[in-house]
Amino acid sequence: MHEIKMNRKKDKGFESPRPFKLTHQVVCINNINFQRKSVIGFVELTIFPTVVNLNRIKLNSKQCRIYRVRVNDLEAPFIYNDPTLEVCHHESKQRNLNYFSSAYTAAVSAVDPDAGHGELVIKVPSELWKQGDEMNVLKVYIEFSLDQPKGGLHFVVPDVEGSMAERGAHVFSFGYQNSTRFWFPCVDSYSELCTWKLEFTVDASMVAVSCGDLVETVYTHDMRKKTFHYVLPIPTAASNISLSVGPFEILVDPYMHEVTHFCLPQLLPLLKHSMSYLHEIFEFYEEILTCRYPYSCFKTVFVDEAYVQVSSYASMSIFSTNLLHSALIIDQTPLTRQCLAQALAQQFFGCFISRMSWADEWVLKGISGYIYGLYLKKTFGVNQYRHWIKEELDKMVEYELKMGGVLLHPTFGGGKDKDNPTPHLHFSIKHPHTLSWKYYKMFQCKAHLVMRLIENRISMEFMLQVFNKLLSLASTASSQKYQSHMWSQMLVSTHSFLKSISNVSGKDIGPLIKQWVDQSAVVKFFGSFAFNRKRNVLELEIRQDYTSSGTQKYVGPIKVTVQELDGSFNHTLQIEENSLKHDIPCHSKSRRNKKKKIPLMNGEEVDMDLSAMDADSPLLWIRIDPDMSILRKVEFEQADFMWQYQLRYERDVVAQEESILALEKFPTPASRLALTDILEQDQCFYKVRQGACFCLAKIANSMMSTWTGPPAMKSLFTRMFCCKSCPNIVKTNTFISFQSYFLQKTMPVAMAQLRDIQNLCPKDVLNFILDLIKYNDNRKNKFSDNYYRAELIDALTNSLTPAISISNEVRTVDNLNGDVRLILEEITRSLNMEKLLPSYRNTITVSCLRAIRMLQKNGHIPSDPSLFKSYAEYGHFVDVRVAALEAVVDYTRVDRSSVELQWLLNMVQNDPAHYVRHKILSMLGKNPPFTKAAESPLCNEALVDQLWKLMNSGTSHDWRLRCDAVNLYYTLFGLTRPSCLPLPELGLVLNLKEKKAVLNPTIKPEQGPDTTEMTGNTMGVHIPVMGFTSSLDEGLITMETVSSVSMSSGVAPPPQGLKRKLDSVVGPLGSSPPEPGQVLQEEDSSKKFKIRFNTMEEDEIDMESPHDSQAFIHHHLNILERPSTPGKEPPAVDQAVLSLPVTPLPSSFSKESTSSSKHSGHHHHHHEHKKKKKKKHKHKHKHKHESKDKERDSHAFSNSPASGRSVRSPSMSD
Amino acid sequence: MADPAVMAGGFSAVVGRSGGGKATSSPAENYQLARRRTLQVVVSSLLTECGFESAEKAAVESLTEMIQSYISEVGRCAKAYCEHTARITPTLSDTVVTLIEMGFNVNTLPVYAKRSQRMVITAPPVTNAPVIPKALIAGQKRTHPSHIPSHFPEFPDPHTYIKTPTFREPVSDYQVVREKAASQRRDVERALTRFMAKTGETQSLFKDDITAFPLIAARPSSIPYLSALLPSELELQTLEETDSSEQDDQTDSENTPGNNLNDDPGADKENSMLPPGGVVPSVKASEENMIDNPYLRPVKKPKVRRKK
Repeated sequence: MHEIKMNRKKDKGFESPRPFKLTHQVVCINNINFQRKSVIGFVELTIFPTVVNLNRIKLNSKQCRIYRVRVNDLEAPFIYNDPTLEVCHHESKQRNLNYFSSAYTAAVSAVDPDAGHGELVIKVPSELWKQGDEMNVLKVYIEFSLDQPKGGLHFVVPDVEGSMAERGAHVFSFGYQNSTRFWFPCVDSYSELCTWKLEFTVDASMVAVSCGDLVETVYTHDMRKKTFHYVLPIPTAASNISLSVGPFEILVDPYMHEVTHFCLPQLLPLLKHSMSYLHEIFEFYEEILTCRYPYSCFKTVFVDEAYVQVSSYASMSIFSTNLLHSALIIDQTPLTRQCLAQALAQQFFGCFISRMSWADEWVLKGISGYIYGLYLKKTFGVNQYRHWIKEELDKMVEYELKMGGVLLHPTFGGGKDKDNPTPHLHFSIKHPHTLSWKYYKMFQCKAHLVMRLIENRISMEFMLQVFNKLLSLASTASSQKYQSHMWSQMLVSTHSFLKSISNVSGKDIGPLIKQWVDQSAVVKFFGSFAFNRKRNVLELEIRQDYTSSGTQKYVGPIKVTVQELDGSFNHTLQIEENSLKHDIPCHSKSRRNKKKKIPLMNGEEVDMDLSAMDADSPLLWIRIDPDMSILRKVEFEQADFMWQYQLRYERDVVAQEESILALEKFPTPASRLALTDILEQDQCFYKVRQGACFCLAKIANSMMSTWTGPPAMKSLFTRMFCCKSCPNIVKTNTFISFQSYFLQKTMPVAMAQLRDIQNLCPKDVLNFILDLIKYNDNRKNKFSDNYYRAELIDALTNSLTPAISISNEVRTVDNLNGDVRLILEEITRSLNMEKLLPSYRNTITVSCLRAIRMLQKNGHIPSDPSLFKSYAEYGHFVDVRVAALEAVVDYTRVDRSSVELQWLLNMVQNDPAHYVRHKILSMLGKNPPFTKAAESPLCNEALVDQLWKLMNSGTSHDWRLRCDAVNLYYTLFGLTRPSCLPLPELGLVLNLKEKKAVLNPTIKPEQGPDTTEMTGNTMGVHIPVMGFTSSLDEGLITMETVSSVSMSSGVAPPPQGLKRKLDSVVGPLGSSPPEPGQVLQEEDSSKKFKIRFNTMEEDEIDMESPHDSQAFIHHHLNILERPSTPGKEPPAVDQAVLSLPVTPLPSSFSKESTSSSKHSGHHHHHHEHKKKKKKKHKHKHKHKHESKDKERDSHAFSNSPASGRSVRSPSMSD
Repeated sequence: MADPAVMAGGFSAVVGRSGGGKATSSPAENYQLARRRTLQVVVSSLLTECGFESAEKAAVESLTEMIQSYISEVGRCAKAYCEHTARITPTLSDTVVTLIEMGFNVNTLPVYAKRSQRMVITAPPVTNAPVIPKALIAGQKRTHPSHIPSHFPEFPDPHTYIKTPTFREPVSDYQVVREKAASQRRDVERALTRFMAKTGETQSLFKDDITAFPLIAARPSSIPYLSALLPSELELQTLEETDSSEQDDQTDSENTPGNNLNDDPGADKENSMLPPGGVVPSVKASEENMIDNPYLRPVKKPKVRRKK
């Protein structure tokens, strides 16, 4: 059932996975306590059963404490079971990511609302389902509370004097994808739409902002609180509902009175400025979509400690307060505008139009990203737009080539790949909640790039018509108040989207969709050419790499632009299976028309100095796929002068950037000249000029010995930005021309990358930068210079080179190098001044922290993380914290410090700011303390346990964080069992029990280092044994290197090291006899799996009596708190054997079960069940072979929800 | 121009201050101590005259103090009377008037002075009157101009009124000005940060010398975004200037109805939002009514029968 639904809907419309239709939901939160961080309220869902005898209602709810459930005023029993709280229950020694990933996917599937599942199962009282066939309305009323929610709602309560309002305390909802279930029970699916009534009672000094129209605000009887009543008549998915409460300052948009902005106290002036252009974005979208904004109002709320910068919900968006800025700030302005534009685009596609299933997410992300791109093009210009497209394309291509493909429209089941269309990934893409965050970002990136490809195919006009059609269908449907079956028109699916494309345009974009949407990976081209003078033909060769990971084969048209002396010509070539070479006839003879101006692609005619070019060839430059109409990476070879011509005369910024990149490989005076000319050209796009700066620095370094004149860019900078009368002094700042502002910022940073023959930053460059800092004068400027000053600090950082000193020498003040002393003085002063006069977003502190880390890393000052740790504490501005944490992460890697790693992981678990937690894990993933490939003393069993616990149960409140933890685990240990763990003791146990005396020889030497303390000498004895058993030369070699390393260092990690190597050598060996432990592991995992979910099924049987829900939740919370490793077992094998429980007697089992069924306390019952299962399970480990068949029998009838199918156990249906 | 009355005043003041009896050695103080000792002798002899055989030191001190004050007061008043009549030296009549003023029966004085039991006290030892240290002579002392009679007091020392021009030609060379401004700012910043670092908690980059490159310790704040986002007051001023001009531009160009609100829409709203009573719009401007925004509407009173 489920699998079919997930497939692209071929002809049918939307089919609900639920046996009922939700039409209306009331959410009433009548108490929000900031002191205790708790929330009390109730929800009421109005549902229409779509089947006869609806007896169970599955809803989503996480971390809510549910007090009572009533259906049509009758008390209803319910079960609350959240398998994602702890993914792998029983404590096994599994620890391999493959196992975890599949268990996690199964857990998420088991409660997936898109498959009709949920954590909360309510039994409809039998009085109601005996009523026969007439479809009666059911009202499901649920009282719930949240106490110190870890996810879903975030409380920000500053620790200062005063009332909550004076303190600026606020609370807001957040989450990654559908996460509304974290703060109220609902059907947390993007495809279940209903109308809403939302009521929030808050302190009289606070404002509650939520979705829909504020109908009225009423005081409570004691006049100390007021209730905000919201009504949302447009059918909306629960996942698009949000709330924020706080002492917000209110700004009604001066241009659009139905738009209201909210910010935290004291920030109103910033809000006024930052929102002053929102109306332009509104106008733009409404104009291109020829559709009015679908909601009757729009609210923007700016909150502290935001989860993401922008999150859009129905008729409101929640932003990070750090986007607000004053008119003094240059750099933040475009960024904030872009965030607003993104938020607004998602209002149309994402909030108003929702998606049918996860597989259709790409359509929404694609369209919103695409129209956001159109806004960029209109507001920031075509150059900026093309630059952005190139940037996004490069980013995505790089990711796909590194990690394997990104699949936009996954289809599950049916295919040959079984359930996993992306086997190269270490996570499942079946659910949004199992995705790596980085993957999801690239997914969005690819989605909008594909939309652009579709636009290329069918034209923008048709594209906008399609969007308009989707929107008008949806708005017609949304106005059908009582025809909820019509509401599915508001859901977009891949199928419906493609259908309207073909209807509107009449074009078949099937191949395009097949290539980029149904299939992952990108195309990698290598191009080269030769000019055949006799035939006057360009012989172009385009090869593809489609074998390495993340690549696919491309067949189809490709555009090639050739700039000749006579003009620019486009050619469309067909890339076919076997044709690599393409002959392109040239239009001009070489040097025939020397004197003429050369026409460019855009019709411009320019004079060129043609002396550099090959006299025999009329070719100036060649571009492959200039419009970026393939998702590709092109590596093209052409002569240096051609790149130089391309840089100077091609007007497309993408071409210019490509040529800048290529010129890095041609450090010649001609390249230098071309780059310098670009730098000086005002008409040139500023980002190209910025790029040219860095390229010039690289070229200068390569040309070090032949370089003449002052250091690169110095005279240029002097000419542009210094006083005429005294060229060593920079002009006082006036950042009126933004182009030159950006160039002024970038040039010193690039110059600092220059190096002399000793590989040091040249003295005059350093002095030059120090002078820039010294003479910087911003008094007459109407803009803040904080970003400029920060970049000057960055320039100082860039100028640093490793200190020349004897290793292990203590870094002291006395032996500080003179230049470094000057640099350090500047940094100290700037950092101290920031305490007195903080800059916007503390940019200078951020740069200073980076500089100090760089000084430490280069050995100028002692390496010490304590400074960074103090800046990383909660209570500093988030940018500062992230910069400090980055330094700590770097320190952890360089110094292999387990203390710091612990400190970081501790922060991941305890920091109040979700963004910071996420950031730590992603930075650790990017700059890992060690990787699976390398040895590290940090890699030990305790760390494995800790990370395992983190992803298994410690991050259940935040999908994103859990996936971050999975990513880190993958980076550190890989997919298989971490090599630092001892071989699973089960292997040994099994051998003992089976009495199969054949112990695998690969295990045998393993016991040595574990049981007996080995010295370097005895190890030497063991090594040959190893080499012999594994009979692999490489293994022998690696073993030897390990032993030599450990012996020379003198410290004694030999048992660990040996073990690890052994494991990694044995692991990948396909031909060698399989190691028993591993085999068992595999089988075991699948089995455990079943058992676990079967316990859940059995839970469902016991539904007759009402539940003590609180106790049940407590039980779950306990699970959450409990360390996932009960009693850390020492790695020694013999001990592990001892620690296993003795075989339980079957009689005791039956006793237990009978006694528990008699038990009145229902929750207790559950508990017993679980315990029992667990024990039974351990027991099964031992008697694996005997019990295996039995087990299969006993579970043959109960389908596991992990398989994604909804289940009716026999007991439920009667 | 040693004036006895003035001297007496000065004397008492000095004695009063150094009454603690510190061992001092300066000539001026020696002089004063000698006088004081004479007074003490006087008091003692008077006490003997009255029939006391011994007295506590403290009592003698108090009486000495009283007699000294009395004599000083007589001197001061006499000087005042004399100056009142535009003279500079007190006469007998001045003293008499003073004594009368202070409630002393002058007529009894001759009798008392000639009483039989009075004791003769030796004159105080001759000590040199203290030399007033010479004031710093700055410039020429000015003589009286012709229209001022010579008996008028002399001009005070020139340093009290002479102004000395100390400025030099302002440096107008651009390079030097910039150089100066830069190094001045740098010095101020360095001094300020050093001071802050010295007076507060610091962090250091070196373990061997924690005073080198002191960093003011990072202190978490409860609301970190405020200081990071809000421009400083100085910056705010320029912001307001530019903001108002920008807003004017917008009103000019847009010409949309209701745009006249733009003059000060935020301020109105800000005020209206702030009272804890909630969203009560100030009824100040009639234009305000044109904005129909649910968040600006007044909060309703609860209905009596309202549920929840």
